[in-house]
Amino acid sequence: MERQGNGQDDWIVGGRRFSSRLLMGTGKFQDSETMVGAVLASGAQIVTVALRRVGRVSREDDMLGPLHRLGGITLMPNTSGARNAAEAVRAARLGRELGGSPFVKVEIHPNPHHLMPDPIETFEAARVLAAEGFVVMPYMPADPVLARRLEDVGCASLMPLGSAIGSGGGLATAEMLRLIIRDARIPVIVDAGLRSPSEAAAALEMGCDAVLVNSAVAASGDPIAMAAAFAQAVVAGRNAHRAGIMPRGGGTALATSPLTEFISGEGT
Amino acid sequence: MKLTVNGEAYEAKRAETVTSLLEEMGFGGRAVVVVLNDEVIPAVSRDACGLREGDCIDLFRLVGGG
Repeated sequence: MERQGNGQDDWIVGGRRFSSRLLMGTGKFQDSETMVGAVLASGAQIVTVALRRVGRVSREDDMLGPLHRLGGITLMPNTSGARNAAEAVRAARLGRELGGSPFVKVEIHPNPHHLMPDPIETFEAARVLAAEGFVVMPYMPADPVLARRLEDVGCASLMPLGSAIGSGGGLATAEMLRLIIRDARIPVIVDAGLRSPSEAAAALEMGCDAVLVNSAVAASGDPIAMAAAFAQAVVAGRNAHRAGIMPRGGGTALATSPLTEFISGEGT
Repeated sequence: MKLTVNGEAYEAKRAETVTSLLEEMGFGGRAVVVVLNDEVIPAVSRDACGLREGDCIDLFRLVGGG
């Protein structure tokens, strides 16, 4: 009998095949060793990085150096720091030079207080970058109308937020996520806001193709152990989705064991 | 030669190309992307890319991010 979770459930984005449904961010880790350990423990095959100006001190820590030496990982530069579409397009082009892959996480959040993605600028940047041949993965509000528009301009996936970046608010947008998943013809990845592995499992159970986490791992007590826990949760959630979750009972109890009245002896 | 590097004035001692500027600044061999006067310079073109007085150079690298 074939068992699920045996590697026969790959997903494809940007023409590449992936088995892991957990994407990892590399920010907020206390040191490079912990970050690399967490990436390895997560099993992630797509890892996000950011782009910054080089400081005048030439001996800045090279957090990502060890990451480049790991095999089997697609680096996906993000466009964080961009306040509009033009800046995001420029950041994506620079990121492609450095990251060596056409994958880009379009991320435009002009307001530092809530970090909500700007839907109009995100759409415009995605349109331009998809036409240039980028594998565009937009961080976006959980809006099914915008999702369809982003899909129509050639995005490779949709990355709606579960809740605000770094908030640990979980799947606050669950209702909208279900609408996006129902209609999407490209992978849906919940990005941002997840706090615990159970939330990642819930996202996969509802039919998301993958999740992206960063703070939930980096800000945990033991990032390497937490990365491994998220990896397990994602597999469990995906397998549950494939197995088909039982319908809700509508508030009515349905006995699991037979209710024959053998104790009272009535009816015998 | 007077240049502007990442928005600050920089006096190049010997550098005449992008490659020699990176070496002079201690970035030789590191993964940086070079933007010269708003134009991205591919890594393979750095040796041949000459610098002129007043050029603006921006250097970027990848860092941790979500």
